Parts: sequence; C-alpha cells; structure tokens
Amino acid sequence: MPATDGAAPRRLGLGALFHASGGHIAGWRHPAARPDGELDIGFHVEMARTFERGRFDALFIADVVAIWGEHLDSLHRTARAEFFEPLTLLAALSSVTERIGLVATATTTYNQPYHLARKFASLDHLSHGRAGWNIVTSVVPLEAQNFGQERHLEHELRYRRADEFVGVVKGLWDSFADDAFVRDVAAGRYYQPEGLRAVQHRGEHFSVRGPLNISRPPQGYPVLFQAGSSETGKDFAARHGEVLFTSQTSLAGAQAFYADIKARVRAQGRNPDDVRVWPGLSPLVAATEAEARQRVAELQELVHDDVLRRLVQDNIGDLDFSDVGLDGPVPEIPSTNRSQSRRDLMLDLARRDQLSVRQLGLRFAGSGIVAGTPEQVADHMEAWFRAAGADGFNVSFPYFPGPAVDFVEHVVPELRRRHLTGPEYEGTTLREHLGLARPARSSEPVEHAGRAQ
Amino acid sequence: MSTRARAGQVHLNAFLKPPGEYLAAWRHPEAVAGAGVDVRHIASMVQRAEAALFDAIFLADLVGVPLVSQDVLSRVSVVNDSFEPTTLLAALSTLTTHIGLIATASTTYNEPYHLAGAFASLDHLSHGRAGWNLVTSLNDGEAQNFGLDAHVEHSARYERAEEFFDVVCGLWDSFDDDAFLRDQASGAYFDPDRVHRLDHVGRHLRVAGPLNAARPPQGRPVIVQAGSSEAGRQLASRAADVIFTHHPDLGSAQEFYRDMKDRAERFGRDPGHLKILPALSTIVGATRYEAEDKADRLRGLLHPAVALSHLSYWLGGYDLSGHPLDGPLPELPLTNQSQSAQRRIYDMARREELTIRQLAQRITDDAGTIVGTPVDIADHIEAWFTGYAADGFNVIFPYLPGTLDDFATGVVPELQRRGLFRTAYESRTLRGNLGLPRPQSRWATVPAPLTR
Repeated sequence: MPATDGAAPRRLGLGALFHASGGHIAGWRHPAARPDGELDIGFHVEMARTFERGRFDALFIADVVAIWGEHLDSLHRTARAEFFEPLTLLAALSSVTERIGLVATATTTYNQPYHLARKFASLDHLSHGRAGWNIVTSVVPLEAQNFGQERHLEHELRYRRADEFVGVVKGLWDSFADDAFVRDVAAGRYYQPEGLRAVQHRGEHFSVRGPLNISRPPQGYPVLFQAGSSETGKDFAARHGEVLFTSQTSLAGAQAFYADIKARVRAQGRNPDDVRVWPGLSPLVAATEAEARQRVAELQELVHDDVLRRLVQDNIGDLDFSDVGLDGPVPEIPSTNRSQSRRDLMLDLARRDQLSVRQLGLRFAGSGIVAGTPEQVADHMEAWFRAAGADGFNVSFPYFPGPAVDFVEHVVPELRRRHLTGPEYEGTTLREHLGLARPARSSEPVEHAGRAQ
Repeated sequence: MSTRARAGQVHLNAFLKPPGEYLAAWRHPEAVAGAGVDVRHIASMVQRAEAALFDAIFLADLVGVPLVSQDVLSRVSVVNDSFEPTTLLAALSTLTTHIGLIATASTTYNEPYHLAGAFASLDHLSHGRAGWNLVTSLNDGEAQNFGLDAHVEHSARYERAEEFFDVVCGLWDSFDDDAFLRDQASGAYFDPDRVHRLDHVGRHLRVAGPLNAARPPQGRPVIVQAGSSEAGRQLASRAADVIFTHHPDLGSAQEFYRDMKDRAERFGRDPGHLKILPALSTIVGATRYEAEDKADRLRGLLHPAVALSHLSYWLGGYDLSGHPLDGPLPELPLTNQSQSAQRRIYDMARREELTIRQLAQRITDDAGTIVGTPVDIADHIEAWFTGYAADGFNVIFPYLPGTLDDFATGVVPELQRRGLFRTAYESRTLRGNLGLPRPQSRWATVPAPLTR
C-alpha cells in the first residue's frame, strides 16, 4: 500500500548482480545461455539496458582479483576464470546507459586508497552520479599470492586496514569543497585555495598526503555497499555501509540480520533508515510453479560432480575432500581464516537437514533460487519487505538473458502494481534512486576507529 | 605527386589533455569549463579525432598533484581536476570504433596484477584498441600518496619497471589464445592444459597468477614508452611498440631515431616494429598571421607565477624563488627526476643566454609549438618523416578543442593530399593501424604446456 502519512512511500530497492554466464555455477551450460558472454561488451550493454528498462536501481559487478579457484579440475568446468575488470567495465557501460547505478566490488586488502578513491570518483563523474563501491576485504587465498603475500591477512587485521582505508578514501573525496572549482577565467583562478584540504593522513597502514586530483564526486561519496556478516564485518558495515548485501535463506534469518544490523547502525550514531538491507535473491519465474521448478532441476542436472565436490570444499574450509564420498555425510570442519559467516551457514544447514556432500553442494548451487510464478516471486519479495527482512534485494539470475528478461517483463510490473516500486527512476543519481542523502563534506580531519593520529 | 625519399605513411597520435596542454588553456574563450571531467565534451573531441583517422588518443597521468604553492596550483586545471585515465578510456571505448585508446599507468605505485587486469579489460572492451604508456613516477607529490616521503631513485625505478613489464606480459599470457572452449555439451569452459601460472619471484615483485582474463585481443596491448635517459632508452627499445619523445630540432631527433632503432635490433627485434613518435605541438591558421594571432592570444592568458613554477618543475622541482627573475639560471644539481628534460633546458638557457624570466616564458609558451599554416605543418611532418627522424607524431594540442579541430580540418587533408596519411583505417585494432604484429604468447613455442 502507498504510504498515507504524506512522507515519500518506502520503495523496494532492486540491484542486479550481473555475471554474464549467470549466478548458477552451471548456468553457462544452459542451452539458452551465452557461454561466450563474459568478455562480450555488446552482451553486457544489452543486459544493462534490460535492467534499466526494469528500473533496477543498480547493476552490481562482483570481483575477485584472481581466478575463482586454484583447482583446475573443477574450475575449468565453470565460467569463473575470465572477467572484465569491474571499474573499466562499469565505465564502459556508463556511456551507454542513462540512469542505472553502477556498483563494483573493490578490495581494501590489495589496493591503495589513492587509486581507489580516484577511480570511483572518476566513475561517479563519468556516470553523472551513478557510482557505488562494494567494499570487501577479500576472502580468496589465491588473491594474496597475486600481490606478493604468502597468505591472506588475518580477519581482524583485514578489517582494521579496511576501516583506515575507507576513512582515507572519504577524506580524499572531500579534498575539494563542492564549490571550490570556481574556474574564474577573468581572475585566472581555477579553484579557491580555501576550498582545498589535503588529507595529510598518517596511520597504521597508510600514509597519504592528498589531495585527490579530481573534483568532489557528484554524489559527494559514491554509495557504499558492504556485505560483511561476521561480528567484525557487521560492525564495519554498520559504520560505513549504506546498502548491505546479505545471504539469507529464511525470512526468520533475514529478520534477525535486519534487526541486528539496524541496531548496530543505531549504536554507531547513525540513523537506521540511512542503511538499506538487501538480501540476495535468485528468482526463476515461469507461467506455473511446476514449470519453474522443472527449470531449476534442469539447471542442477548440469552441475558436474567435480564442481559439486569443490563447491562444498571451497565454502567450508581448506580441507582435502578427495576421499570424501559425494553421497556420504559432511565431515567435521575446524575453524579457518575464511569468511566465517558463510561457513557457519553451510554447516548449520548440513547438520540440520543431515545432508550428504552432494546434497549440500546442490543446496549451495541452488541457494537463494526462488522458483515460481511472477506473483509468487513478488509475494516472496513483498513478504520480506513488509516484515522487516529486507529493504530491497540483490537479485542474481541463474543464467542470462532469459531469467532476467522474464523478471523485468513479469515480476517488475507486478511489483509496480503493488506500489513496491515506482514507475520511473526517482532521480538521476544512484543516491536519488535509493533515497539516500548526499553526504556533506566532512569538516573534520580523517578519523577511523582506534587511531589517534 | 613527386617521389618521396621514404615510402609509407605517418602515424598520428592525439595527446588529449583537456582543456589543453598550455597551462592557461582553461582560460581560453573557447575552453569548456571543467573540461577535465566533462565526458560528453571529451567524447565529442575523440569522435572528431576518429573522424580525422588518428591512430590513437593518449591520456597522460599523475597519481597526485605536484608539490607547488597553492597560489600556482589554484591557477591551473589539468593536474587538479581530471578523469582517471583507464576509466575514461573505457567510457570512450563504447563510443568509438577504430581509434586506439592509450593511457599512462605507473609501474612505481601500481601492482602488476591490477594493471594487467585493467588493460586486458580495456583491450577486450575495445576489441583490440588498448595501449599502455609505461612510466615510472617521478614526483614527490605522487610518492606521498603512497606512503613514501620522496619518489624512488632513478635506477631503482627503472629496475622495477623492467620487472613489472615482464610480469604484466606474463599475466597477459596466462591463458593461451585457444584456451577458452566454452563447450556447453562437454562442460569444459576452458582447457586446463592451456592455462599457465606465472609464479614470478623477483627482486621487486612476487606474483603467482594466472590473470583472470582471456588473452587480450591484441595479444598484448600496444606498449608505449617515453624515457630518454640511458635506462629509459634500454627499456623502451626492448619493451615498447611506440616511443613518445621530444626533440627541439631535426638533428637530435634523427640521432635519437637511429639510436633507438639500433638498440631494438640489438634486442633481436625488427626495427620497423618500433614506432618513434616525436611530440608535435601546433597552432594552425589559414595564414601565418592568423596562426600567430591565435598563439599571441593564448600566451596572453598565462600568469607569471605559473610560468615560473612550470620552469621549476622541469628543473626537477628546484625552487627558483630565491634567485632574481631577471638574472641568469644558476648552476643546479641534476636531480632524480626526468634528467633528460633538465639537460635540455640548461642547454637552452646557456646557449641563448636567457634570464630566468625569459626562460620560464619560453618553456611554458613554446614547448616546440609550430605556429603556421597547414602547409607549414605538413612540410615539417614530411621533412621529419622522410629524414628518418620520425615514424609519426604525438600531436599536442595547446588548447582544446580549437587546435584539434584546426589540425583535423587543415593539416590532415594536406597530409592526405601528399599521400602521407591514411584516407581510411586499415584495421580495427591499434596494432593493425600501427602496422605492428600481434605478439605470440610466451608459451606458444613451448611444446608441452606447464600446468599445476
């Protein structure tokens, strides 16, 4: 129902997680998929425009700075070894789209704040205010070895670095006041020196003088996305995040996460309404529920045994699974230095349902898929939205283009009929679409947790 | 048309630095406010460069602002307010079809994995039009954005650059050209025998690989280099496909040209596959009087503080404010920064007995700019080309869009009349238009692929 108190109605947010070969690990093998789509810019443009036609708030490109696995026996059966670099891809899309937000993952663990601050500022200018940054601290051990490290930074240290990193990046974006660039031709003054502040940061991980060599981003700061779900990760998200991705398999779990994260946001002195929670969702719609379920089953059939085994192994811990039978139970797992939230989710699931390795693998491969009619998918979304489980969804599709086109043509109109989304974009910038305020330039020097200087 | 002393045609690169190379270009009446971050304006210029059949556009880069006074910095535009080059080129890739897209990126403050990924991506996005101008960073203003107090010393910078180049090329070769099968029926997305880990362990870098991208359409993006010190020449003659250089006269350009081609040959390369493009800055008018008038109007826009600071920059950051403006240039130590440029400026000051003020004006104003008619410019181009001083030119635009339009509509047709420049693109890749072969993968001659 539309809001009745005169305030702007609460809108359901929609993000499209786009990975050309699809979110499902065997999606690229589907007969209607585009197996050569990963490095085909034409296909990326086509899909970006499809999502824009569906009034998606944002297009989101995930990233790992490595191939997505070290075991070629399974990796070579997945479309996870060739990608566009996300910032260049989104920049390329910025020229051929008008409204959709452009969000890329970038890691604070293997980047320098000056480079990232600059690239995202550049993307925000190129897109006239449509950039977003999904802040990650990296989870894949292979990445470390591409950047001169033997092993991955330990979990807590990664987040300390991330905290300092984000503080420096915001400071760099604030190098110039919004009105500093007067470009006074007659006086020969390009900017007002009093409108400039170099960050002059010296901290535990970074020493950055600044200023950034580009004017303040149109959105002030690009919209900050985050997906941490460990304790440290959630606190980090509550401190910096504006749109929070989360992986939730039940409404109860989603509600618990939602309540927890909003409380943490409040504890950080921020308004919980300034933070959007977007669980992942992978819809597969068809004219009937039976047909939709049949489509899921067909996809699951395409997952190779080697891929299934590795899927479980990669997401649970660094264990040798070669002797573990696919149809036997999931073994006990010690704690590791991985993204802890996912492992815990997986193990809880396996124990509760007494799954075999194969069944767990297929659960993971099919995780988040909501199969049904457009009304059923809309019902699911509406239920989570109304019951404080979600402010929006990070929508992935098992393969492209079919399921995404179906969603745009059948689910989006249904969401609109229910007044969950509007018929048009709310504005021209991603912040405007999301109803997030443009951050004022900070008048304080860079600060971050635990640092006095 | 008379028979020329040298067959073939010149290559033209458009060095875009919106709103122009000249430090006061942003004050020009034709300038677009905020040109450095105006993508529509830049795209329209690049489309005009493409219509004029330029081989490529080129974007320079600094990862920081120079350490000069606020009074000076606040009077200039480019170093304060420009797009990051790889993202800008990516945005231009979907708005153009043939023109090459070259960006500077530093080997000093980047990680090879990031850089290899970004340029591979750009090459895929543009279907084979990417180029990388490999530089070492030499400003303290950049160093201080990456945890250092001062920039890295000359020889260490070049040592890292050599290693960095090898690592980046190794990463581009991670997958063989035919590695990706994408065979839905068998479920083999790529052939695991056609992927190679790099496992590089060197003095400056440790990089395992493989890169998460198919081999770039060009094999490797076009490599550009511009160093002219001894270390720079060695790196360029080994690694580069294109060399940007700067020479005040034909003789020195010919000497450089011969030297670089000889060095390339000593590395076992075909010297024809190393393209030497000296800088060419022009202000073009229908008549010489009109061209001079355009130049005078531009010069009048320069603030003296900016000119002095510019000179100081080229002298390695030496602060000249303690010396009388109307006195001679003092003896200064060679610094760690762009030594070839410093030597050139000293020589000019001594040879012509210039005061600091005169020298500052000269360095900022002229920068070798040729002011003349299309015929004058074409004569210069023809003389340098047929005299084996150049394979083409890195065309510099003092102010934009004016000097680009004047070059495109005046000089290009004159060159075409002389048969010195193409009348249609030969290829859709930058290597194709430059007449450069597509490099084989380092693994192409290895009989049994190594895998892990």
